Amino acid sequence: MALDRCPDCSATLPEDARYCPACGVPVAPDAPIRLRREEPSPWAQFLDAAWDFFASVRVAVVLIVLIALAAIGGTLVEQEGLYQDWRPPELYYPARYGPLLGRLLMATGLTHTYTSWWFLTLVYLLVISLIVCSLQRLVPLHRALQKPTVEKHLGFLLRQPVQARLPAQGADPLAPLAETLRRRGYRVWREGKGLHADRGRLGRYGPYIIHIGLIICALAAGAKALPGVDVTHDLWVENGQTVALPGTRLAIRNNRFIMETYPNGMPKLFQTQATLLEDGREVLHHNIEVNKPLVYGPWWGPWEIYQASWREEPGIAHLELVAGDRVLGKVDLDLKSPAREYQVTPEVRVVVERYFHDFDLDPATGQPVNRSREIANPVFLLRFVGPDGQEVGRQALNVAIQPGVEARSVAEGPYALRQIGISSRWYTGLRARRDLTVPYMYGGLGVVMVGMYITFFVFHRQIWALDLGTEVVLGARTNKDRWGLQQEVRRIARALGGELTVGNGVERSPGSTGA
Amino acid sequence: MASHWLLAVAFFSYLAASILYVAGFIGQRRLALAAAGAAGGQATGVGPGGTPAAGEFYWKAPGWAFALATLGTLAHAGGILARWQGAGHWPTANLYEFVGFMSFCSMVAFQVLYRLYRFPVLGALATPVTVALLAYSYVFPREVEPLIPQLRSHWLTLHVSFAALGEGFFAVAFAAALLYLLRTREAEKESRLAGLALESIFWFASTVLTFVVLAYLLRYVLGQEWAIVLDRGVARYHLPPIIGPEGSTPGQAGSLFGLPLPLVAVPGWIKGKNANTFLFAVALGTPVYYLLRRLLCRGLPFREALARLAQGLDADLLDEISYRAVAIGYPVFTLGALVFAMFWAKVAWGRYWFWDPKETWAFISWLIYSAYLHLRLTRGWEGRVSAWMAVIGFGAILFTLVGVNLLIVGLHSYAGGDL
Ligand code: HEM
Repeated sequence: MALDRCPDCSATLPEDARYCPACGVPVAPDAPIRLRREEPSPWAQFLDAAWDFFASVRVAVVLIVLIALAAIGGTLVEQEGLYQDWRPPELYYPARYGPLLGRLLMATGLTHTYTSWWFLTLVYLLVISLIVCSLQRLVPLHRALQKPTVEKHLGFLLRQPVQARLPAQGADPLAPLAETLRRRGYRVWREGKGLHADRGRLGRYGPYIIHIGLIICALAAGAKALPGVDVTHDLWVENGQTVALPGTRLAIRNNRFIMETYPNGMPKLFQTQATLLEDGREVLHHNIEVNKPLVYGPWWGPWEIYQASWREEPGIAHLELVAGDRVLGKVDLDLKSPAREYQVTPEVRVVVERYFHDFDLDPATGQPVNRSREIANPVFLLRFVGPDGQEVGRQALNVAIQPGVEARSVAEGPYALRQIGISSRWYTGLRARRDLTVPYMYGGLGVVMVGMYITFFVFHRQIWALDLGTEVVLGARTNKDRWGLQQEVRRIARALGGELTVGNGVERSPGSTGA
Repeated sequence: MASHWLLAVAFFSYLAASILYVAGFIGQRRLALAAAGAAGGQATGVGPGGTPAAGEFYWKAPGWAFALATLGTLAHAGGILARWQGAGHWPTANLYEFVGFMSFCSMVAFQVLYRLYRFPVLGALATPVTVALLAYSYVFPREVEPLIPQLRSHWLTLHVSFAALGEGFFAVAFAAALLYLLRTREAEKESRLAGLALESIFWFASTVLTFVVLAYLLRYVLGQEWAIVLDRGVARYHLPPIIGPEGSTPGQAGSLFGLPLPLVAVPGWIKGKNANTFLFAVALGTPVYYLLRRLLCRGLPFREALARLAQGLDADLLDEISYRAVAIGYPVFTLGALVFAMFWAKVAWGRYWFWDPKETWAFISWLIYSAYLHLRLTRGWEGRVSAWMAVIGFGAILFTLVGVNLLIVGLHSYAGGDL
């Protein structure tokens, strides 16, 4: 259970040091001398070994590097759910990477790296390491910071990266120094011939705050695997329609979907003018746009509805019934679900015998079939029926769905439907999400950022001074910003009539203080 | 447009500053070596430092260079503001704007660290890095583009700006680390591998230079074009397509000296056209590297020539500056590249994390710097190992910035009716 660095002076420690070789502080919280008769149980031994394993920063860094390597691997292979192809993985990967490599990638989980068992294992090992490591160090650090050793021996002072010498004046040579340090915001202790002062202790807690934040983030991310915690529904909602949100009392109505483009044709705006209903009552109107989701519900777990996609589909074919050159009436055929029959005039009824939304002839059987689920090539087989129920004609009509294309038709008898137009159906693609982990994740990130600020911008400066009778020797160090500390010590020393003896760029040998 | 003028002012100020810095620095070193040589009575192989007037110039040059660099930074800031005004959105929306912004950030980082340490030599490395980045930005189309709906978010602005600022600090950390590596290089003890690794940084810089020049020539000078017809459209190449896009067949675009074009097709996740340009940059970059070596270093390896210049610098200070730059850049980068990125992904797509390649590479860079900090803080890894990690980290940053965009096909494609 060795620390890597002395909690008190930050010197690097050998693996199993009990005392810091630099400052002599006990570093292993005195291992309780266990007067055990019997050998510790194998279980206890195992736990001890596991604890030591996870308490090592070296192990943590190895884990971090392994995670980085695994993540790199994941960016080199297209990940499931992110590739743009309709084929399922078992067809897609062999086709993309060749049968052997494709199957190998799938078997190893590299096609879904970030949810593979080995990646998650690495992440959780790191989380354990983070917890153990922080626990292991926080307590001794806290103790050392609360009760620092004030009177150090000279050798300790002479090992500090920044040193100064001051003239010893008056009855209490340390008093002016103490005063100056206090004015500069230091906390000062005195004991015998020694003085200790520090400032920015908080900075030393920074890394632990970061680690706690990271643990919160990791737990939040892990909680997504629990059922019901992270729910997504993709909804296609036609203009004017209402669609229920499965498993809730909510429903969403798309009043209108609009799309705007810039003059150069690039998309500018996608917007769904939406109304949210709860138990059938309207509760919220919101224009859903990319980057402006509709949000409804408590802050800790609202439903959020995002603009995800859109689709335009051939909607209604506008036709007129003609006999020769005479227009008898108008009829609109719904291309998604046409009615069985339409009474166009009192004399003529149009019966939809069969409807193919994507007409094709099966090459094997020669029978008409639908080629896909889309409305891509709509064909109606129609019958015209007179007032007495007599069939008076037939027509096969291929509705034109693209501008500039003529409808095609074969008619028998006096009547025919002639296409005069077509209108689209607009669907907005909405993604409704409820992710209960978000507040925890954001909270964790907030803790991390606070911790980072403290770690990197609050410097812990420590100063020791010894009254040697003829002069006062001062040794100082910091966890960050040695340069700044040196400037400060130089200023303090000058103010008290002394000088800086050791620091960056100062080439005075530390031994010259002469004890 | 005002922003173009201001940017030109910035560019030339940086350029002049970097020339002054480098000239002043080299001159000072020569003077020092000459003085040492005269004092020790040995031949140093370096000519006399020149007239006293020249000596004075060398000592004053860094001061002027700093003034010029500051002028450039101010002009650059003005240029960014002007473009913001003109475009109606914060100008970090395409690669031209972003890379230019990053060069600005590296200058800001330099200014901050200069305030902290007053170490002029840093300028001799930071200004050339800035000049290179700014020059690189001109490779990309400069038109102001309207924003697609996904990009219209304040989180995005914050995300990109903070990420770039963090990266600016990493760039300075890289510069200081490189200088440290040169300063502490011991030619006799250097292993072949370490030497190769150090030299490859300069080889890489030559390749980037070649790539930039090549891209300029392609865009503005050369008109030659090779077209490869694919099911989904036509890929137009301005260089002989040795590497074809996915789905192309060898020999489809004719041949060059009996070599079928394209020779190979890349798998779908790589952008064939950019991989092809890369291939050319690497192939031409190597001769350019040797040429530069001949011109600038009298044929010596760069590391050899520069290490001589770097002697006498305060190595510990370089080490600390590099660390300090990382220690400032890391929290800023975390905020920009991870936290704000997550906030933006959440409002734009509904999920804060996607593991898309760009995101993942930002995460990888962040892990590298995390490892750097831990090894340094808890295991006392200072000095060369640490400096190498700062170099590797910056390599990952560069790959995240341009490598991912240029080489790996992005997953958030905006094609068709899908957003
Ligand atoms: C990706 C995950 C991690 C991140 C981002 C992270 C972040 C940090 C940061 C920013 C520091 C401060 C460094 C400095 O002041 O220069 C730090 C310190 C530290 N970290 Fe981590 N950490 C991570 C994982 C771990 C793990 C898994 C362990 C334990 C095994 C660990 C142990 C430590 C220790 C012991 C310190 C030094 C504290 C001190 O001496 O003041 N870290 N960490």
